[in-house]
Amino acid sequence: MKLMRVSEALKWVLLVWLAVVIVAAFFYVRPAEGFIGESSRIVFFHVPMAWIAVLAFLVSCITSVMYLRRRDPKDDIRASVSAGLGLLFAVLATTTGAVFARIMWNAYWNWDPRQTSITILLLIYAAYLALRGAIDDPERRASLSAVYAILAFVTVPFLVFVVPRIYWSLHPDTIINTRGSNEFDSRYTQVLMASLVGFTGLYVWLYTIGCRIESVRQRRRQEVL
Amino acid sequence: MSRLLAEALAVAAKDLRTEFRTRVALNALGLFALTVLAAVSYTVGPYRISAGDRPFLLAVLLWIVVFFAALAGLDRSFVKEEESHTAPLLRLAASPTAVWLGKLGFNLILIYLLMAILVPLYCILMGYTIQLIGGFVLILVFGGYALAVITTIIAAIIARALTRGALFSVLSLPLLLPLLIFLIQGTAGAADGTVETVTNTLRAVLSMGGIMTIVSAMLFPVVWTD
Repeated sequence: MKLMRVSEALKWVLLVWLAVVIVAAFFYVRPAEGFIGESSRIVFFHVPMAWIAVLAFLVSCITSVMYLRRRDPKDDIRASVSAGLGLLFAVLATTTGAVFARIMWNAYWNWDPRQTSITILLLIYAAYLALRGAIDDPERRASLSAVYAILAFVTVPFLVFVVPRIYWSLHPDTIINTRGSNEFDSRYTQVLMASLVGFTGLYVWLYTIGCRIESVRQRRRQEVL
Repeated sequence: MSRLLAEALAVAAKDLRTEFRTRVALNALGLFALTVLAAVSYTVGPYRISAGDRPFLLAVLLWIVVFFAALAGLDRSFVKEEESHTAPLLRLAASPTAVWLGKLGFNLILIYLLMAILVPLYCILMGYTIQLIGGFVLILVFGGYALAVITTIIAAIIARALTRGALFSVLSLPLLLPLLIFLIQGTAGAADGTVETVTNTLRAVLSMGGIMTIVSAMLFPVVWTD
C-alpha cells in the first residue's frame, strides 16, 4: 500500500520534472554557437532518446541472459517489453536526428556512421520482434529470442565504437561546444542531465506498465486454455 | 576432445554426402552468385566505372554478391534436418558442440567453394585489379569465416521457427552489416594498395569472428536442445 502511494507520487514528480525540462530546453538555454539557428535545442530530446534506445537494448540483453539462467517466464516478458520500448525510442532518436541533419547538413539522411549504427539498431529490434512473432511455443520463443538478443548485443560495440572510429563522421561529439563560456556550459549540461534523468524515469514507468500488462495478458491466455 | 572432433567430422561428412546427393544448397549458392554476377557484369561491365571509383565500387558489388549468395543457401544445413525430421536422431547421436562444429565446417566448405569460383571470375569479368593479393586473400579467408560463424547460429535459430525463408535474411543482416562494412573497406584498401586499411580491417574482422565463435559455442546448446 505504501509502495503504491510512493509510485503514485513519483508519477506526479515525473510529470512536473519533464514539463520543467521542456520549458527549460526552449527558454533557459541559449542556442549553442556553431549551430544554425535554434537547431542545437533538439539535443535535449535527441540525446535522451538515443540513450534510452541503447539502455532498453541493454536491459533486454541482461534479462535475456537471466532468462537463460533461471528460466523464469517473467524475464522473457521483461526482455520483450524492453525491446518494444527500445524500438519506439530508436525511431524517435532517428527522427530527431534526421531533423537536425536536415538543418545542419542540408539532408535528412546521408549514411553517416552514427546514422548507420542507429539504423542497424532499429533493424535488430525489428528482427528480434519478427523472430518472436514467428515461434508459437512460448518456451521455445523465449529461449530462441533470448539467444538472438545476446548475439545482437555482441555486434553493437562494433557499430558504436569500431565503425565510427575507422570511418569519418559528421556527428558532433557527445558534448558539443566544449570551448563555450562557462555559464553557457553549465546551463547546457544542467538541462541535458535533467532531461536524461526525466526520460529515463519515463522509460522505467513505461517498462513497469508494459511488464504488468503483458503478465496479465499471459495469465488470461492460460485461463482461457 | 578427440571424440568431439571425430563426432564433428562425422557430422560434416554426413552433411557433405547428403548435399552432393541433392545439391540444394550448392545450387542455391552457386546459381544465385552466377546469375547476379552475369547481371552485374552485363549492366556495369569493366569500363563503366571511372578509374578513381573502381577499387571501392567494385568491392561493394563483390561483397553484396557474396553476402546475398550466402543468405540464399547457408540456412540449408539446419533447415534440412528439421524438414526431413532427422534432427531428433542427430540430437541423440552427437553432442551439441559437435553438431555445431560439424555444421560450421560444412558451411565453411560451402562458402570457400563459392569464393574460390566466384572471386576469380568476378575479377576477370569486371577487370578488378588487386594491388595487395596477399591481403585480399586474408580478407576473403577471415571474412568467409566470420560470415559462416554468424550464419550458422542464425540458421540454427530459424530452423526452429515457423516462417524460415524470410526470417533467415531478416535475422542475419543486422548482425552481418558491420562485417559487410569492414570487408568492403578492406577490399577497397587491398585493391588500391593501402596497407593500413587492410590491417585495420583484418583486426576488426578477426575480433568479430572470434567473439562470434565464442558466443555461438556457448549459446548453441540452448538453441539445439530447447
